[in-house]
Amino acid sequence: MAWAIAGISAAIGAVLGGSGLGYFISPAFAKREEEWVDLGSVKEFKANVPLKIDFTSRKRDAWATVEKRASAWVLTPNGRDFIAFDPKCTHLGCPYRWDDSQKKFLCPCHTAVFDVDGRVVSGPPPRPLDRFSTKVVGGRLMVRPSSGGEAAA
Amino acid sequence: MISAALAWTFERTGVDKIWEALFARHIPEAKGPVAWLYALGSATLFVFTVQAVTGTLLAMNYVPSPDHAYDSVRFIGSEVYFGRFIRGLHHWGASFMVVLVALHMMRVYFMASYKYPREATWLAGVGLFLLVIGFSFTGYLLPWDQKAYWATMVGANIAGQTPFVGSYVSKILIGGAEMGAATLSRFYALHVLVLPALTGGALVLHLFLVVWHGISEPPKRVEKGS
Repeated sequence: MAWAIAGISAAIGAVLGGSGLGYFISPAFAKREEEWVDLGSVKEFKANVPLKIDFTSRKRDAWATVEKRASAWVLTPNGRDFIAFDPKCTHLGCPYRWDDSQKKFLCPCHTAVFDVDGRVVSGPPPRPLDRFSTKVVGGRLMVRPSSGGEAAA
Repeated sequence: MISAALAWTFERTGVDKIWEALFARHIPEAKGPVAWLYALGSATLFVFTVQAVTGTLLAMNYVPSPDHAYDSVRFIGSEVYFGRFIRGLHHWGASFMVVLVALHMMRVYFMASYKYPREATWLAGVGLFLLVIGFSFTGYLLPWDQKAYWATMVGANIAGQTPFVGSYVSKILIGGAEMGAATLSRFYALHVLVLPALTGGALVLHLFLVVWHGISEPPKRVEKGS
């Protein structure tokens, strides 16, 4: 009798405690969702001319959906392969611009200069421009904007 | 080694005496189905513990705001591991609380266990019964679905029928002239802060009195008159 009570109690405790613990630690198994954003038809991009695209990214934050304005510098060498640069300078996060006469990206804050591939030509930036993942689906260019300047190779 | 550590602890805290007083006390000899009736109070305490734990877990993913309440409850059910189960436990536990408390009260009433010297235990128990009803009423609103909304509307209208002060009672209850965001956050605060605090106090008093007075004997059949 005592053993039966102990056994039943242990079973109840295991089910309740186990599911409660599973609930508590379930964030540990949460996966980061892939948030691909449509930047338009691939035909809109001219070869070797970087184009700044503004877009709105929708991100699911648990039960809520948050919208964020963001942008990317898109470059294509041939109309098939695409590079999307994070529009923040890798030095201190200033927005840089494309100078078509020099064929360079110029950052106004500390006179950083990047070439068309995002490599540092001169100035203080510690690394080349960060890139977003890109893919082409059905003739549409998709990017996955990553936050916080982590380089998505 | 272990016994030395236990002796050290017992001598300085007295937990062995407390354990003896709580769990080695005299329990009335009852046989058959009647004996089960003495488990109703403990069963209520157990379900209350489950409610406290599952409620704490649910609060980790719940937002008492009209924008997010329903979505966060759906999130618990669809995204959180064991979320449906934990919410189900809390949902069914709520009904069990009311049923068990009512049965426990009937047991005490029909066995006349509320009589001298246990009136204070009975009164604390009545307080706990009202608190359980309060938990049911405030918790029902929190999923913020149609059923929750309109059930609370009915409750507020009933409170509004109080003679003379009805409109004030109803406004205090729902936190404004109309139901809305203030109602939801008010009910949430009552459900997770006010009522648990009151219940904790009343529960300690109730259990202390149960241990202090001992459990009443079951009524005995008297053969010759009374």
